[in-house]
Amino acid sequence: MRWEVFRQDKKKDYHTYVGTVHAPNAELAKQYAEVQHGRRKPTNSLWIVPKDAVETVYADDPGVEFGGTTQKDYRWATAYSTDETFAEEIEASQREQEEAERDIAEADR
Amino acid sequence: MSPDRSTDAPEPGSLGGPDDLDDETRTAVEAELRCLADDDFVVAERYTEWQVRGPTLEADIGIGNIAQDELGHARLWYDLLEDFGHDETDLVWEADPGDFRHATLVELPFETGDWADCVVRSYLYDHYEELRLEALRESSYPRIVDRVGKVLGEEPYHREHAENWLERLAEDAGGRRRLQEALDRLYPHALTLFEPTDQEDAIVALGIRREPLDVLREEWRAIVVPVLAGLGLEVPEGDDADLLPDARGRDGTHTDAWEPLFHEFTHTYHDLGREEAVSLMPDPDEADV
Repeated sequence: MRWEVFRQDKKKDYHTYVGTVHAPNAELAKQYAEVQHGRRKPTNSLWIVPKDAVETVYADDPGVEFGGTTQKDYRWATAYSTDETFAEEIEASQREQEEAERDIAEADR
Repeated sequence: MSPDRSTDAPEPGSLGGPDDLDDETRTAVEAELRCLADDDFVVAERYTEWQVRGPTLEADIGIGNIAQDELGHARLWYDLLEDFGHDETDLVWEADPGDFRHATLVELPFETGDWADCVVRSYLYDHYEELRLEALRESSYPRIVDRVGKVLGEEPYHREHAENWLERLAEDAGGRRRLQEALDRLYPHALTLFEPTDQEDAIVALGIRREPLDVLREEWRAIVVPVLAGLGLEVPEGDDADLLPDARGRDGTHTDAWEPLFHEFTHTYHDLGREEAVSLMPDPDEADV
């Protein structure tokens, strides 16, 4: 049976997907995840989830359009009137937007 | 508290450092350390044989991790023997196989693919180990007290791993049969874990260990027998004297499996023409390990 493992480096960090373990039951899955994924990197906690419990939505599933199909620029800070006191936030948002557009373009190729 | 417990033994941690001990005390401390170190070293050596041969990739990594833990523990105990002027070379690599005082349980070979043996062995060994180490928490020898907590900290994983597999294998008749065969074969050798060295009386009287081995053996039996019986296994019955194998380990006598294993793990040392052990890690006293 396959289990998906998520590791949290420090308290309050997000859990990040780190891989799988194969184990016949939850107890062994936890034990194996401990040595396979929590041994050599800083670890505050692990989530171990049975593969079957993970629901998936695919980009090419019928009716699925991640982000929608119409223009929604209002999602980005650059679409609003602001002054220089927001400069940093705007730059960060700008970068984020550009990266997202690049990544989406990449994924569509 | 056991009636055998020596109540007028020296207080925990009161014996002082290695240079403060008289000859009698030093001999007793060395005897206790030698058993701890050799058990962990040899059991790790055998576990390592499962690396890339376990029932699953995860089982390989799990048992490999346990082997690493046990090697680390052996290193801590051998290091305390080095306080008395020994070095790793004469303790291990250029030792005589008859110098080793591990129990015969840990030296036995595994039949190819007999994972049930590994599980039963680990279950019997790790429960023994917990009891012996707990009886060292308040040792009169402070160098042992300093390290025993760290060693105990890695042991719950070993017990849980063994118990989990034990339950898993006991779920069907085929698994139970394999467990039973392993138990019949290993149980007499597990009893040698509790065999005394010729220093046993001194070890207890001097408070180096707080419980005598025969008391620990009964505590161990009270833990493992009901669990094994609850899984549908029959624990061999009879007087320990009748069950015990001829070789006892603790007195330097070993089964036929020991010399080949000893030559196997010292082979590379001799093959490379080594005269001293190469140290890869800082001394345990200088690093928090």
